[in-house]
Amino acid sequence: MTIATLSSPKIKMSVIGPIVALVVLIIMGALMNPNFLSAGNISNVLSRSAFIGIIAVGMTFVITAGGLDLSVGSMAAFIAGLMILVMNTALPVMGIGIPIVLLGMAVALFAGLFAGMLNGVLITRLGMDAFIVTLGSMGIYRSLVTWLADGGTLSLDFSLRTFYQPVYYGGTLGVSWPIIVFALVVIGGELLMRSTAFGRHCAAIGSNDQVARYSSVRVARVRMLTYVMLGVLVGIATIMYVPRLGSASSATGLLWELEAIAAVIVGGTALKGGFGRVWGTVIGVLILTLIGNILNLTDLVSPYLNGAIQGAIIILAVVLQRGRKPGQ
Amino acid sequence: MKRLISALAVSTALVTPAFAQDTQVIGVSIPAATHGWAGGMNYFAQAAIDRLEETYPQLDFVLATAADPSRQVNDIEDMLATRNISALVVLPFESEPLTGPVQNVANAGVWVTVVDRGLSVEGIEDLYVAGDNPGFGRVSGEYMVSQMPDGGDIVVLRGIPTTIDNERVAGFEAAIEGSGINVLGMEHGNWNRDTSFEVMQDFLSRHPQIDAVWASDDDMAIGVLAAIEAAGRDDVQFVLGGAGMKEMIQRVMDGDTMIPANVTYPPSMIATAIEVTALGVVSQTPVSGEFIIGSVLVTQDNAEQFYYPDSPF
Amino acid sequence: MGHAVTTPILALSKVSKSFGPIEVLHGADIALHPGRVHALIGENGAGKSTMMKILTGYQPPSAGLVMLQGQPVSFADMGQAEAQGISLIHQEFNLADHLTVAENIFLGSELRRGWFLDKPAMRARSRDLLGRLRCDVDPDRLISDLSNSDKQMVEIAKALLRDTNVLIMDEPTAVLTRTETAVLLDQVRALRGHGTAVLFTSHKLDEVVAIADDLTIMRDGSVVWSGPANEMDEHQMAEAMVGREISTLYPPKDSMKGALALEVEGFHVPGFAEDIHFTLRKGEVLGIAGLIGSGRTETFEGLAGLRAAHGTVRINGDTVTIRHPWEALALGLAYLTEDRKTRGLLLTKGLRENLTLQSLHKFSNWVINTRAEDAALNHAVTEFDIRGSRSVDVGSLSGGNQQKLLFAKTMLSDPDILVIDEPTRGIDIGTKQQMYEFIRKLAAEGRAIVVISSEMQEVIGLSDRVLVMRQGRIAGELTGDSATEDAIVRLAMGVGQSAPLERTA
Repeated sequence: MTIATLSSPKIKMSVIGPIVALVVLIIMGALMNPNFLSAGNISNVLSRSAFIGIIAVGMTFVITAGGLDLSVGSMAAFIAGLMILVMNTALPVMGIGIPIVLLGMAVALFAGLFAGMLNGVLITRLGMDAFIVTLGSMGIYRSLVTWLADGGTLSLDFSLRTFYQPVYYGGTLGVSWPIIVFALVVIGGELLMRSTAFGRHCAAIGSNDQVARYSSVRVARVRMLTYVMLGVLVGIATIMYVPRLGSASSATGLLWELEAIAAVIVGGTALKGGFGRVWGTVIGVLILTLIGNILNLTDLVSPYLNGAIQGAIIILAVVLQRGRKPGQ
Repeated sequence: MKRLISALAVSTALVTPAFAQDTQVIGVSIPAATHGWAGGMNYFAQAAIDRLEETYPQLDFVLATAADPSRQVNDIEDMLATRNISALVVLPFESEPLTGPVQNVANAGVWVTVVDRGLSVEGIEDLYVAGDNPGFGRVSGEYMVSQMPDGGDIVVLRGIPTTIDNERVAGFEAAIEGSGINVLGMEHGNWNRDTSFEVMQDFLSRHPQIDAVWASDDDMAIGVLAAIEAAGRDDVQFVLGGAGMKEMIQRVMDGDTMIPANVTYPPSMIATAIEVTALGVVSQTPVSGEFIIGSVLVTQDNAEQFYYPDSPF
Repeated sequence: MGHAVTTPILALSKVSKSFGPIEVLHGADIALHPGRVHALIGENGAGKSTMMKILTGYQPPSAGLVMLQGQPVSFADMGQAEAQGISLIHQEFNLADHLTVAENIFLGSELRRGWFLDKPAMRARSRDLLGRLRCDVDPDRLISDLSNSDKQMVEIAKALLRDTNVLIMDEPTAVLTRTETAVLLDQVRALRGHGTAVLFTSHKLDEVVAIADDLTIMRDGSVVWSGPANEMDEHQMAEAMVGREISTLYPPKDSMKGALALEVEGFHVPGFAEDIHFTLRKGEVLGIAGLIGSGRTETFEGLAGLRAAHGTVRINGDTVTIRHPWEALALGLAYLTEDRKTRGLLLTKGLRENLTLQSLHKFSNWVINTRAEDAALNHAVTEFDIRGSRSVDVGSLSGGNQQKLLFAKTMLSDPDILVIDEPTRGIDIGTKQQMYEFIRKLAAEGRAIVVISSEMQEVIGLSDRVLVMRQGRIAGELTGDSATEDAIVRLAMGVGQSAPLERTA
């Protein structure tokens, strides 16, 4: 037996790259504005990361299994619109109270489940390309929400919104709900990716779906589940999003899909699939949110250049990971 | 002023009933409803067309909404090529890319009405109907000055970086110059509720004392208000939005101290443009020239006149 | 030799080739003469492809000389050999499917007029070249629309364009029907008439008899016979190819045969196999022989739910329907693929992930028990003698260790019926022997085993019974002493029978 025991003490750039980028950002932010590390600002940043973050956790699984979903942003807008519409409609019957909020949440979860399933069926059962399917559903949901809102904005009834608002602004033990939910999703996702057969199967399918098939893995079902899970997580994100402003329009969730994908990749998941890590995605989301936060907190650069700074940092974070296989 | 024009249109309609001509087609090309103001504009365009089609049986309207400038060019080319339009009412997505195609339409002898955003070359359009962007900024600035005679610290949320936004901000800055009002920071909220929510949260983290906010748009004002409310800050005395969204007008009407006023930039200007154009097509009434719809300060006293409960905006 | 009066245009002299410590070609000679067709035959793995690769500059020899026109040369790459007029046509066509015939013929050496392509000239030239081959394919047709024989002609036309005087073809008729083959052979005769030296390999001995002037027979990396083709008949050729006793490489076939484990009747894999029927007992090793493309792999992939198939399948006497691989696994039937690099193992993952992939449910109860996985890996490493660092990706293990890992992975799911496709492809003799022992041991444990192999000795040495497949059908069954390589070759090639005019792939 010449097997060496599992030990690789050398530090992998792919692991520490995103962490280094995050730490550098935090130090930069703290130096530039003393309020950056205030409890209020940290809470703000984490709460606003929650939407993209919850979605990005689902996206991590989809991408790890070799897929892609471009529809999440408009799916979120559509679900938010649907949720507001249903809650407003039910208001005269149900009145303000917990049941109507639960109804809204159920609508969001089922709509997410259904939308994810639709993507999944088209991709896995009809064998269509994920890029095209989700590009199509992206357009469909985006115009459905415009149609539902009649070109304008759907607003949750004001008193209902006031009742529902604590779901975004409230919290327990000094931590707001979106942060708690985000944390739970991350912990669950990390566990699922790292320690379950499902996570292992996602990585196997993403690295070589033929090998997975020949190893009796239910390739279509696992792929399908990744899309369904992402849909449900979009529903959860929407449940957190709606009470924030109580409205949905065709501008809701614009470009969320790209932010989520960018967060996943910045976090070290391979875009071509086969390898994914949920904690990395969290780092990626935080990096993306912090860039905007720091730029708002300082006058360092012209606001016209915000996009350029964001792009440069995304590229930098990915460059930092390239210690993995030099020269291959 | 809009009412004045509507009245004019209606009276002309009464003067020239059923002129029994061949059907004439008026093309209307506008950007799609991608944000609140555009949604309102779409609504008023559709409403005006419905009303006019009933009033003038000899008129036919083609309405096209485009999601980006190149699609708008396609729409306009199609209208000229296949619908044989007699007049075109266009709210250009952007000035530069639309100038050439609209010029072609004008060269083909079609009446051209340009709305809101001017073309890059002067003299193409027969009629120009627009809001007053520098005026919008100026009225907002003057209101700020009147509310804060001793000066104060404010933050400003800007729209999507465009000429419209630049003109408004320039007008605003000119109006507050020397008044003692100090602008702590300006960031782009992109006329988007979510973005302005986050921008305002960060303004609040950064500046411990903010006296007032010029949100410059009602969608942005909603995001700003939510951020202030969530932060529980009571130093901000009021938020000035703009464009006259019905929910905001309602709050002005109700005497909400956070929303004491509004400045109009009516999306219904598209209706003005369509009605005047229709008038020009069906009658000999001279309607060419420029028609600038001024931005009006809305306060609790006059808010009722600016409240359109049926509009989505 | 001395049967040819001309100087060989291209020859190998005492050429050896080693890959690492393994020598696969031992001091081989061959000589190609202008205007003569030379056939190179031998079993799979006998060294034919290595020899062709050395002749065409694709690989350098480890020892010995490549002689061009009697002078030693060393080609740095295929481009240099091509510049000397030597062309190799691969078994898998090297054509761009979405380009036209003319575009393919001129790919890389397009005719230009100024800045632009001179399409009319290329078209005319293509028509002319194809005309010389008596092939009337329109130069504007897409390659994807052509039949296999026409594709072969385009390949040859491509070679002609480059002023080829030595044309080397690797099994040019493997994918052709009988009629297509006849056309090709005619055209090879035409090339010979123009003074081209032609070398080709084939498993179809009747073609060799029909067209070859010279013949070289290889076995185990050595040339065992060389001379004028008319000195050998088909039977002698077959004997020379296989002429070796079966060594003690193979463990004794002493397992007890039990009850029927698998019965297959009227089994069809559309496009690949029809009317397959056989039975398999517990403790039995059933060998499946046949040429590549005879439908062996597809038949068993169909059985394992990896391909659409239909027919009656009984496992332990119960009729079953298997539509997906996991259904097969649940019934205790596992298929171990011949293609370990793209279908068997995740090359970018570690040993542990690969080992347990097929039977992860045994290690997880919501959460995967990595400790149990490590224990399984320890066990597998010991039992199957897997060598190499555990922290590396599987892709960097040697072929033999990969094969052992794949074997361990499949065995972890504890199948009762195990189909092993090419158990020893690309691995050295020592590991081969280990694999044979594993297989016999599994049979002794009472498992029913199918071994698919292109190596006839392996099939004979390992199996209790041999089924030979030809053109998607069972061509015959051989047991005991009747299972000789000669007999397998006859059944696999249909020697002495009139072959139906069917497509074989």
